[in-house]
Amino acid sequence: MVELVPTLLRQELARLAEDDLRLDGRGRWEGREVTLETDCLYNAEGSAKVVMGGTIVYAGVKFELRTPWPDRPAQGSLMCGAELRPVAHRKYEPGPPSPQSIELGRVVDRGIRESGCIDMESLCIVPGEKVWGVMIDIHVLSDGGNIFDACGLAAIAALRTAVVPAKRFDVGEDYTLKVNGTPIMSSFTRVGGRYIYDPSEEEELGGDERIHITLGDEGHLHSLQKGLRGVFTPAEFAEIFEVAHLRCTELRELVANQEGN
Amino acid sequence: MGGYGDVQLLRDDGLRLDGRKIDEMRPVAIEAGVLPAADGSAMVTHGLNVAVAAVYGPMEAHPRKIQRQDRAVIDVRYNMAPFSTSDRIRPGYNRRSREISKVTAEALESVVLVERYPRSKIRVEIEILAAEAGTRCVGITAAAVALADAGIPMRDLIVGVASGKVEDTVVLDLDKAEDNYGQADLPVGILPNTGEIAFLQMDGDLSPDEFNLAMEYNFKAAAEIHEIMVDALKRRYEGGEN
Repeated sequence: MVELVPTLLRQELARLAEDDLRLDGRGRWEGREVTLETDCLYNAEGSAKVVMGGTIVYAGVKFELRTPWPDRPAQGSLMCGAELRPVAHRKYEPGPPSPQSIELGRVVDRGIRESGCIDMESLCIVPGEKVWGVMIDIHVLSDGGNIFDACGLAAIAALRTAVVPAKRFDVGEDYTLKVNGTPIMSSFTRVGGRYIYDPSEEEELGGDERIHITLGDEGHLHSLQKGLRGVFTPAEFAEIFEVAHLRCTELRELVANQEGN
Repeated sequence: MGGYGDVQLLRDDGLRLDGRKIDEMRPVAIEAGVLPAADGSAMVTHGLNVAVAAVYGPMEAHPRKIQRQDRAVIDVRYNMAPFSTSDRIRPGYNRRSREISKVTAEALESVVLVERYPRSKIRVEIEILAAEAGTRCVGITAAAVALADAGIPMRDLIVGVASGKVEDTVVLDLDKAEDNYGQADLPVGILPNTGEIAFLQMDGDLSPDEFNLAMEYNFKAAAEIHEIMVDALKRRYEGGEN
């Protein structure tokens, strides 16, 4: 579906930006309320649901036994994929995975993988023969803006609740997957000429380029991605990088609180 | 059906493995309007099954070859999430989901007043998030509530229910073990107000008497689920929203 970018919406967003305002009344660096639910899907070995304004995302973790890659005989594997199915918005159409959904899955994948929170060697059962393949599938049910952050949060929260189904595969007793850390993504979109955190659906429609930052527990960068048409300055990046630290810390606490319950 | 004779599905006290009576359905809960991006939506939990349906439209029908000059077409996609079953399902359309999508669309076209929207398309997306036998029925129920939630005129709702046979006994609403090891499965889509049937499939082995009893159970369950559907729609609109 061709997305018409309404000139009037862009003008309105630019006018609001002059007074540092947003359409829904939020501050520039203010996120929408986030609710996180874990262990919510029967049949998934780990699962999470994230609601962020009008955005609803589920993530589910599945395991399978596979033979290791020849060059890494003692390592398991991790794969994270996202589906932008037509259920999520009228703009999504059925068919093979779109470039958008591939980008989304890969950005989330990189943040988790590169943070090193999963020790690939711990997924090895018999070197050269048998290792665990961990699959995180992200299912976007409603796109109300900023699905990247929602997907990143759902993926890591689901992974952190995962139980390895060793018994079902006849390789021992079930155990909780060891996950060392909670990488979190923060996304920013240029709206009305300046960056804002956690864009809504309308802000994405009338906005420009976006930047996704994934930070680990120590505040280290694990994944960066710039998407869509537009350029930014180092000063602009420095500003949103500061904000990303704050927002990532808050979301990491949300995950920790959920696990504490 | 599986037909494994050595799996016991009825306990010595006559109840089923999960403690249900033979004519007792699993608990059902329905919520309408769960997806902000959709024109209409519903989530149905039925036992451990979780199905979400979204409706978009009526909208322009494309590709143009699917257009009908005299009515709307309903484009249904039934899809199981990769993590919805015990072994992961590879994402994408398969023969099973294509068939279910087709017969579900035809069932929904039987109740929606499609003549009101010539040359247009109504998209119905059914996503199964957790599967424990009977997902096509749960999907139909979710789709019917989502269509009503979208304000699309219909002559009746449709309720998806199934009965079957295990150990030569007709039982209502098969669970996973009963579906895998039982002798028959009879999923139907019932119009609760008119008592008509818009969806029918069956596999296994049923005598005429067993069929009649299974149908009787299905109608009884449909009446119960219908109340829950109506209640979900009332809760959605009584609050003053929309």
